[in-house]
Amino acid sequence: MKTKFKNMIAVLIMLALVATFALTGCAKEEAATPVAVAADSTDSPFVGDPSETYYMCVMVSGVEYWFPVYEMMKQAGQQLGVKTVYTGTPEYDVNKQLAVFEQILAKKPAGILLHPMNPDAFIEPINRAAEMGIPVVTFAADSPNSKRVSYITSDNVREGEFAADAIAADMGEKGEVAVLENPGQDNHDLRIKAFINRIETKYPDMEVVARAATNQDPNKAYQALMTIAQAHPNLGGVFMPEASSGMGAAQAAVELDTGIRVMCCDINAKVLDMIKAGEFFGAINPNQGTQGYYGMLMLYLAAHSEMIDPMNDWSQAGFNPMGMPFVDNGLAVVTAENADFFYWDKYLEKRGTKGINE
Amino acid sequence: MIENIKTGKNGFIDLFNKFRNFREGTLILIIVAVCVLMSFLSPYFMTWANWKAIFLSFSTEGIVVVGMTVMLVLGGIDLSVGAVMCLAMCIGGKLFLLGVNPWLASLIALAICAGIGYIQGLLVTKVGLVHFITTLAFMGIARGACFVITQGTPLSLFTLPQSFKFIGQGTIGPLPFVIIIFLVIVIVSDYMLRNSTVLRKVFYSGSNEKAAVFSGIRVSRVKIGVSVLCCTLSGLAGIIYMSRFGASTPGFGVGLEMTAISAAVIGGASLTGGEGTVFGSILGAALLSIITSSLILLDVSVYWQDLIKGCILLFAVSVDHIQHMRRQAG
Repeated sequence: MKTKFKNMIAVLIMLALVATFALTGCAKEEAATPVAVAADSTDSPFVGDPSETYYMCVMVSGVEYWFPVYEMMKQAGQQLGVKTVYTGTPEYDVNKQLAVFEQILAKKPAGILLHPMNPDAFIEPINRAAEMGIPVVTFAADSPNSKRVSYITSDNVREGEFAADAIAADMGEKGEVAVLENPGQDNHDLRIKAFINRIETKYPDMEVVARAATNQDPNKAYQALMTIAQAHPNLGGVFMPEASSGMGAAQAAVELDTGIRVMCCDINAKVLDMIKAGEFFGAINPNQGTQGYYGMLMLYLAAHSEMIDPMNDWSQAGFNPMGMPFVDNGLAVVTAENADFFYWDKYLEKRGTKGINE
Repeated sequence: MIENIKTGKNGFIDLFNKFRNFREGTLILIIVAVCVLMSFLSPYFMTWANWKAIFLSFSTEGIVVVGMTVMLVLGGIDLSVGAVMCLAMCIGGKLFLLGVNPWLASLIALAICAGIGYIQGLLVTKVGLVHFITTLAFMGIARGACFVITQGTPLSLFTLPQSFKFIGQGTIGPLPFVIIIFLVIVIVSDYMLRNSTVLRKVFYSGSNEKAAVFSGIRVSRVKIGVSVLCCTLSGLAGIIYMSRFGASTPGFGVGLEMTAISAAVIGGASLTGGEGTVFGSILGAALLSIITSSLILLDVSVYWQDLIKGCILLFAVSVDHIQHMRRQAG
């Protein structure tokens, strides 16, 4: 019995050791190293110190939305001669993201490109980073009451309006439409409100006849659209602020076969395939690459704020002279004609990089 | 005449009482009440198209609910069902994109899910971990594996052959094939859980593990078997979703464990083990789906939907629980 118990303890210790080594190996940060800089350009203020490291910090780090953002952040970092690191928490948990943010701060980075999961939870940590001289630029989601230097995002209101205009134009500016929502996520709510507002104010012969919460779940979206279509047999279009629900809604639209136009924000390979096959009306995609590139540029400028001396009270008031309250990174309307340009794997193949793994 | 009426009335009351004493009777009455009310409130509720949508929405999840019910009867819990379901989807999808036949890819995915169940069972029975912690860990492992396999981006399986798409999208007569698979699994598992010696052992083990051991039941085997069953059914649901949506999404099935547990508990399963039926759990899943459909048909504001749904469920569970207590006391 004792031997059995000892064996079990030994096996558990072995497992723990293996797990520790594995985790240590996984946790090793792969920093994108700067490209070689010509010797005569080292005097330029636009050439950083290779030891400078800039972090991108996100929540649900496995989500594909971040990858093109980081790809261009990395490129800007390489061009500026500094290091970049992609990190974050794999979970949808603000406490976990706060812990990752603290770990980054402990490493004294040159700057942080942050997607704060919750605006208020990040006020104190961002302010502390500012006091430590570490600039923070927020992207895609903001912490407006903090001392973040800048905020870069796509204009969610414009995205909702673009979608409304595209569907309305195809429906001859008359008919019934519906929305599938993800209530509680700020940027998604903005897109939905903008879509509804546009339909109500610009298209008097159109009506938003139904709203359902599908919370990014394709199965819920499928059921919701099937149900809405029973109550509103003349439904001409449906809009949702994210791509996951789009997959379920499009499947329902295909089965209903009544010509319902399905349109969403953001994209993935499945949505692109369906757009190309004519089963999905279209998608609105924020220019993620621009978000990452300009985000990195703003971080670099904020970390090197001695480069600029604007005519204002920055030195007395104590704010970073490089700060810009808001930058719009623009958007793209994805249709069957241009869908081929939006596949992540093809994009990576074309660029010959390892994406977030460098 | 008066006598006849009295007899008829008593007969109806007797029948009603008998029905109420049936374990799932109260839940069926609640569902019928909701349906009758909805048929007055919306002319679209009692249409075949709406019921098809309701059935389709909970039939695949219902397969996971079956596994969860057996696990709860055993006195365990499986928090990894959503992640394991997604893993089957991702493994099957990835292998297909690598050129493997989709049927073989699905079988491999199912075998891996069964293997996960086996390992979970071993950890519970041999190492002595509890189901909650073991499956919590596997929830993270399986979800993490999904992200590793897909590299975070949904895999588009647009080129799946029609024969494979039939699982999720095909129909036999008026019935979608998914619903037929679901009904077969429910009928077989409900019958076996009530009548077969093998699955009755799950009840004995869940009610009183020590007594089950003394009566000669190999409880360890039962626990491993139930873990394998639960994970395999989750994997099967993943394969069906893969076929239905033609995609493998690494974030799919998040929160499914709570839906499955809710459905089972609404249907009368006990979190402490030894109680529950597959039929009851499926009624629980059906009630959840009917309420969702009703709220959409009634154009209830999206901000109110969760609150109203929560209140109705609380009411349903409370009524069912009170009835159950009365039956036991009587």
